[in-house]
Amino acid sequence: MTALPAVRRRSLRLPVAWRRPAAIGGAVVLLAWIVIALLDPVIGLQGPLQRDVEVALQAPSAAHPFGTDELGRDVLARTLWGVQASLPLAVVLVAGSLVIGSLLGAVAGYLGGVVDEVIMRIADLVFAFPTIILAMVVAAALGPSLANAVVALLIVSWPNYARVMRALVLGARGQEYVVAGRLLGAGPFTSLRRDVLPNVSAPMLVLAMLDFGNQILLLAGLSFLGLGAVPPTPEWGSMVADGVEQFSSWWLATFPGLAIFSVVVAFNLIGDSLRDALDPRIAGAVQGSSL
Amino acid sequence: MNHLPARLTAMTATAAAVALIVTGCSSSSGGGQSTSSKTLVVDNAFDLKTSDPARAFELTGSIVDKAIYETALTFNGSDVTKPVPQLTTYTMSDDEKTITLTLNGKHVFSSGNPVTIDDIVWSYKRVQGIAGNPSFLLSNLSTGKPFAITKTSDTTMTITDTQPNPALPTILPNPSLGVLDSKTLEGHGGTTGKDDGAESYLNATSAGSGPYQLSSYNVSSKVVFKPNPKYVGDKPAYGRVVLQNVKGPSQKIDVQGGSAQLALNLNSQQVNGLASGSIKVVKTPSANVGYLWLNQNAGVSGGLTNQPDFVKGVRHAIDYKAIQTIAGSGSTQPGGIVPSQFLGSLESDENNTTDAAAAKSDLAKYQGRSITLSYPTDAALDGVSFADMAQSVQSDLEGAGVKVKLNGLPIATLLDSFRAGKLQAGLMYWGPDFPDPSDYLTFSPGEGLGLRAGWTKDMAPEVTKAKEAAIAAQGDARAAAYQAWQKAANADGAFVPLVQAAKYAVTNGVSGVTQNAIWTVDLATIE
Repeated sequence: MTALPAVRRRSLRLPVAWRRPAAIGGAVVLLAWIVIALLDPVIGLQGPLQRDVEVALQAPSAAHPFGTDELGRDVLARTLWGVQASLPLAVVLVAGSLVIGSLLGAVAGYLGGVVDEVIMRIADLVFAFPTIILAMVVAAALGPSLANAVVALLIVSWPNYARVMRALVLGARGQEYVVAGRLLGAGPFTSLRRDVLPNVSAPMLVLAMLDFGNQILLLAGLSFLGLGAVPPTPEWGSMVADGVEQFSSWWLATFPGLAIFSVVVAFNLIGDSLRDALDPRIAGAVQGSSL
Repeated sequence: MNHLPARLTAMTATAAAVALIVTGCSSSSGGGQSTSSKTLVVDNAFDLKTSDPARAFELTGSIVDKAIYETALTFNGSDVTKPVPQLTTYTMSDDEKTITLTLNGKHVFSSGNPVTIDDIVWSYKRVQGIAGNPSFLLSNLSTGKPFAITKTSDTTMTITDTQPNPALPTILPNPSLGVLDSKTLEGHGGTTGKDDGAESYLNATSAGSGPYQLSSYNVSSKVVFKPNPKYVGDKPAYGRVVLQNVKGPSQKIDVQGGSAQLALNLNSQQVNGLASGSIKVVKTPSANVGYLWLNQNAGVSGGLTNQPDFVKGVRHAIDYKAIQTIAGSGSTQPGGIVPSQFLGSLESDENNTTDAAAAKSDLAKYQGRSITLSYPTDAALDGVSFADMAQSVQSDLEGAGVKVKLNGLPIATLLDSFRAGKLQAGLMYWGPDFPDPSDYLTFSPGEGLGLRAGWTKDMAPEVTKAKEAAIAAQGDARAAAYQAWQKAANADGAFVPLVQAAKYAVTNGVSGVTQNAIWTVDLATIE
């Protein structure tokens, strides 16, 4: 394995990892959800808020393939509309915590000293609490709404990125090319932007990709606890919570639950493949198994 | 090792045989009451805290205390409009301030002590003295001044309020006013003040004259009753009653499988299609009334909820049938704020009817404007989610052109803001303190609940006049006076009564189950 020439590994790196069935499966599922999110308004399903109490809590049938909820709303329509809340907010969450965490982590790692101490002790403070509990406290203090849930999750999510980023920057800032850049007259922020960041961005992307599933779960979790989506917004977490109230109507919780499951698994499969593709330390193993 | 010596085997067998004979004899000698050797198992989702009547004011506590204790007056079955004698008979004074109780035949506590007027006076004073949750029953609701309780002879006593109080007889049947054996309890730390120490005795032994007494008591798992041999009424059909703490879904399995004969906490979805063979579903409207309030205070109303045409429009926009469907079969729409089973309830009111055309014209001025509708997220109206009802109202009002922002709050937070009169509109419910319409006068302008909705006396003089007429009415005129008050409130008011959900009692192989708004079920009448 160690005898494989570096050039060959480099040329095969991306395609092989991406050609794995898991990656393709994940990509297809995710793509399908994105298409659904875009097409929701034009599919022409019954509106997710359209209520007809006469047909409340009906089991799946031809008219309502996923059944109806306690107000007679179509669970299929609500599940498909639910992706409009989950996907964009997950993107906002991951992008937000990636940007905040990376910035703070990079600054802490590069500058060191007091700045490092202050930023990382704040991060430790956040780490000291279980994620969902801290998010609950913040969301409860701000009042239930999806926007507040996103703020709460941003507050608990950035330290992960900051810690990884700091470690990467610490490793990179002693490298000769960085030192050379500084000696050529680059200021700390130019050096960070030009020499360090491009060399540490790949692992951060992998972390972000793997975090998508996590964030969707946390967001659904907050809604499940009544601290996220406000009725009547169709949101998977709150739909599962409604289903738990009506335990004999299994379809209420099952379909939104499956939706959460499929999106989270899709993101994780893609994230895994991305890691395999971008991480040189395990690229050899991947290559070996797929050859 | 595998073979016991023959002699040892023989000895063991003999010992076993002797033991069997002895236990057989003792059980046959103890099982003299052949009619009452049956066991009744009742499933209930416990909210039990204590079985001491002076401290208990929970649903489960009332079931327990109803079985153990007798009260001065009581109700027959589910009819809570007419109090009937139990330990005493009663007469009301002409000014309706004083009720006189006269001992009604002979009643005996489980200890063998006879029930005396002293016991009743002692028990009532104990409720007042301990100042626990039920103590408000024996004090004036508006001033908080305790009723004067006086022994007037060996067979009579009086209870006197400072103001006319025609509800007095309907208050006394509450199981929290169960009469205790004062002589026994005084020997176990019982007093009529805050220093009372009889709670633990009452939670282990009980000291009542009712059909049952405690056999074992566990506040979180089950309460077991055995008959009170000294009970003077009809002997209960069951020799052992187990009231056990079981959650709704498991109750369904228990009653279907026959391991429980009665389940008390199934919701409308769970009872759907359950009745078959020996399984029967008894439906009774709950006495809890779910209502919508619209704040009349100009500062809180946002210029909407205090406008008479807006209020009228909302009353007509709501699809009451849809809310009943959500609440489940057997639920009803009360005509006024007084629940349908109480004296003075209103069957229906034209102001509270669904009329989309009228709603559109009343709300024409308010198209596109928005109100915030608050509701409790962690409390339900007899199992019916407020969120579901709120979404139904939201969709009705949006159909009539008014936007509704839903604001689900934990009930503690909601009550804080509601009591401070800060919420523009919302959904809540009112459970009766005692089954008399006077308990609902708080929904009048200038009264407790009225003020929560920013409704002051000067805003609705008609309603205030009708309220005063209702207070002044006596005897048979009361019902009509309370109906007139509700009609006035519906024409003007801040409150829209929405729904009384149904309560379901599911039985398997037993009869005689009648639901009562005060004590849920009387275990002694079940056969």
